[in-house]
Amino acid sequence: MILFSAPTCDKCNYIKKNFNLKELGIRIEELTEENAEGLALLAWHGLVKRAEEGLPILVVEKEKLVIRGYENIAKYLERKVRLKN
Amino acid sequence: MGEVLELKPMKLFDTKDTTDLAVFVRTSDEELVTWNRQKIVEALIRETFLDRGTAEIISEEVEKIILKSGISVLTSPLIRELVDAKLIEKGLEKARKMHTRLGMPLYDVEQLIVYPNKENANVPHGPEATNLTLAENIKKEYALLNVFSQDVSDAHMKGDIHLHDLGFIDRPYCSGQSLEYIKKFGLSLPNSLAIAKPAKHPEVLLAHMVKFAAALQSNFAGAIGWDAVNLFFAPYLEGLSKKDLKQLAQMLIFEFSQQAVARGGQAIFSDINLYWEVPKHFEDVPAIGPGGEYTGKTYGEYAKTAQEFVKALFEVYMEGDGCGRPFFFPKPLVHITEKFWNEDGSEEFLELICDVACEKGNTYFVFDRGNTAKISECCRLSFKLEKSDFEDAKQPWKMRYSAIQNVTINLPRIAYEAKGDDTKLFNLLTERIELAVKAHIQKRMFLEKLLSQGERGPLALLTMNKDGQPYLRMHRVSYLIGMVGLNELVQYHLGQEMHESDFAIKFGLKVIAHMKLLCDRFSKIHNMHFVLEQTPAESTAYRFARLDLKHFSEKAGRTVKGDISRGEIYYTNSTYLNVSHPINPIDRIRIEGLFHPLIEAGSLTHIWLGEKRPDTKSLANFIKKIFHNTENDQVAFSPEFTTCLDCKKTMRGLLDSCSYCGSERIEGMTRITGYFTRISSWNKGKLGELRDRFRSKDYF
Repeated sequence: MILFSAPTCDKCNYIKKNFNLKELGIRIEELTEENAEGLALLAWHGLVKRAEEGLPILVVEKEKLVIRGYENIAKYLERKVRLKN
Repeated sequence: MGEVLELKPMKLFDTKDTTDLAVFVRTSDEELVTWNRQKIVEALIRETFLDRGTAEIISEEVEKIILKSGISVLTSPLIRELVDAKLIEKGLEKARKMHTRLGMPLYDVEQLIVYPNKENANVPHGPEATNLTLAENIKKEYALLNVFSQDVSDAHMKGDIHLHDLGFIDRPYCSGQSLEYIKKFGLSLPNSLAIAKPAKHPEVLLAHMVKFAAALQSNFAGAIGWDAVNLFFAPYLEGLSKKDLKQLAQMLIFEFSQQAVARGGQAIFSDINLYWEVPKHFEDVPAIGPGGEYTGKTYGEYAKTAQEFVKALFEVYMEGDGCGRPFFFPKPLVHITEKFWNEDGSEEFLELICDVACEKGNTYFVFDRGNTAKISECCRLSFKLEKSDFEDAKQPWKMRYSAIQNVTINLPRIAYEAKGDDTKLFNLLTERIELAVKAHIQKRMFLEKLLSQGERGPLALLTMNKDGQPYLRMHRVSYLIGMVGLNELVQYHLGQEMHESDFAIKFGLKVIAHMKLLCDRFSKIHNMHFVLEQTPAESTAYRFARLDLKHFSEKAGRTVKGDISRGEIYYTNSTYLNVSHPINPIDRIRIEGLFHPLIEAGSLTHIWLGEKRPDTKSLANFIKKIFHNTENDQVAFSPEFTTCLDCKKTMRGLLDSCSYCGSERIEGMTRITGYFTRISSWNKGKLGELRDRFRSKDYF
C-alpha cells in the first residue's frame, strides 16, 4: 500500500499521526518538489490530476483500490487495524 | 549587423587617409567605389570598440594583402573576411565575433532558390518561401551569435538541445486568443492604413478574424489559435438558416485553408477550439454581439446556436475540399469536458465528429477532465487556465496566451553520456534543463528590448493597448521545455524500450517527473512559467538522430529508428512509444496518457489508421472509454490518402498509382506531426517514421 501525501497537507498529517502506517505495511510517498520518484509513481497509477484536486490518496495495489479523501482513508485503515487486532 | 562595413563613395574632403589604389569595391549599397582604407578603421571602431591604433594597423595589413594580390574589383564581404582573418591572427576573438558578417554562400543560395526546403512541410517552394528561408538563415546566425550566450549556442550547435524557430528570433513562438478582442475593439492594426469598427455581420467578423490571424502570423513564429470559435460567433448567427450557417462554416474553413499567400507562401497554421457544451467559465459571461455591443444575454443562452454552427463546421470538414481531400487548416480541436456527456445531443454530435475522424481524420479530441480548462493550438500546445484566467474569462477578450520559445532536450544523448549511471543521467538532465532555462531568459531579454520600443518598434502589434494592457501579456506567457527520444533514452540506459516492460515505463515516467519538478522549481526562482511540452519535433527528431549518429556513432547506431542506409533516421518523438510497435490502440492511448498529466503545455497520442476506415460507432465508444478510463489529454486518428493530379480523385491509402485512371502522377498525404500535409514535402526522418508507423487496421 502507498499513501501519497504532502508535507503541508493537514489531512495527510492527520492520517500519519493517527495510524501506525509502517505497521500496516503502508509506504508513504511525500510529494515534494525534489521527489521525482514519488511523482512518477503517482503518474504510473494515473493519479496526478486527482492528487492536484486533493491529498491524501491511498493506493491498495493488491485490491486494486484507490481511496481518496482522509475520511475514507481513515475508515479503511480503522477496519484494517480492527482486522489486525 | 550584416551590412555594417559600408564602403560608400568618398566625400570630397575625405581623402587625406586614402591610399591611392586603383582598386574598386562593390559595396553593400550596390555601388562601385574606389578603395578607402579608412572605412575599415571606422567599421572596426564602431562595431568592435577596438582602439584606433590597432584598427589602423589591421587596415594597413589588409591593404598590403590586397595590393599584393593584384585584385582589381573587391567586394565588401571579402574585405570583411580579410579583416576578420587579421583579427584572429592577433588573438582578437571577441572583436572578430562582433565584426562577423552574416550571410550565405552563393552555392547555398542557388540550392535554396532551385530546390525546396524540407525543414517545415507547411512551407511550399516558391519565391516567397525562398525569401523566408534566406531571412531565417540570417536571423538564425544572428540569434546564435548575438542573442544567446556561447554555451547556449554551442549546446544547440552540438545537438545537446534544440532552440526552435531561431529564424524567428525576434518574435514569440505561438499564440492563442479570443474572437472577443476583435468583436469588441474591431480591427485596428498598428501598420494598417484603415481602421475597422467592430463587425456588424458574421461575414465581416470572419474577414476580421482571418486578417487578424494573418497579422498575428507576422508577429509569431508558430500557430495562431482561437478559443471557443463556435460559441463566440453565436451572437452573430441567431436567426440564420441552416443553409446560411453552412455557407459561413464553408467560408471560414476555406478562408483559412487557402491563405497560402502569407508568410513564405505558407498557409496560416491555424487552430479553432470548439465546444458542444458551453464551458462552465463562459456560461454566465455577457455576450458581445454585432457592433461590439452586449446583447443582453449570456453565452450560456447561445448554446443551441453555437451547437448548430459547430455541426455545420463538421459537415464541411466531412465533405473536404474541391477534390474531397481533408482540409489541412484550420485544425478543429473539440474540447470534451465533464459537462459534455450530460448535454442534449452530445451523443449525436460525438458520432458526427467521429465520422469526420474516420473519414478525413481532421478531428482532434481534447479531453478537459475535472475542472481543467485550456486553449489548445499548434501541434499539441495548450495553455491551461489558472485561477486568474477564470477571472479574466468574465472579459474574454483578455484571454490571450503565448509561448515565448521552445527549447528541446536531446534525451538519448544524455543516456549515451551517462553510460548506464543513474546519478550521472539525472545530473546531466538537470544541466540540460538549466541550459534551456538560460536560453529562455536570454530570449525574454531580447524580446523585451524589442517590445520596449512600443508602437514604433518591430513588435508594434504586440504592444497595442486597447484594454489597458499590451496585446502580448508577458505576465501570462509560457516558456516551453520539450523532449525528444525518451524511448531511446530508456532503451540505451536499461536495455529495453518502453513498450517492453513496466519497469521501462516507470523509468521513463521518472525522467519526465524529474523534468517537470525542475520546471516548477525554476519557475519559482525566476518568476517565469517554465512548462513541459511534447515537442512536435518535425525536424528535431531527425536532426538529433543525425548528429548523434555522427558524434556517438556506435551508441546511436543501436538506438536510432528508421533506415540508416537510406539516411531516413529519427528518434521517437517526445514520450511516445516506438511507432512501429504493434500495440492495441487503447493500450497505446492508456500508456502514453500516463505521461500527459506531467506535461502541462500539451500532449497528443496519434493513432495511425493507414487505409482503414474505422466504424463510426466503435470510434465513438472508444472516445468514451478514453475519457473515462485514461489520463490521455488529446488523441488524433490519422488516415492516409492519395490524390490523383490528373483526374483529381482522392483515394484512401498511400498508393503507387490512381485506382480510377491509372495515372502515376499522384500525391500522398497524411498527418506529419500535429497537422496534415503532403508527403512529398517531408524530411527524410519523417519519411523513415512513415515507413515504420504501425497502422491500427484491425482494432475498430
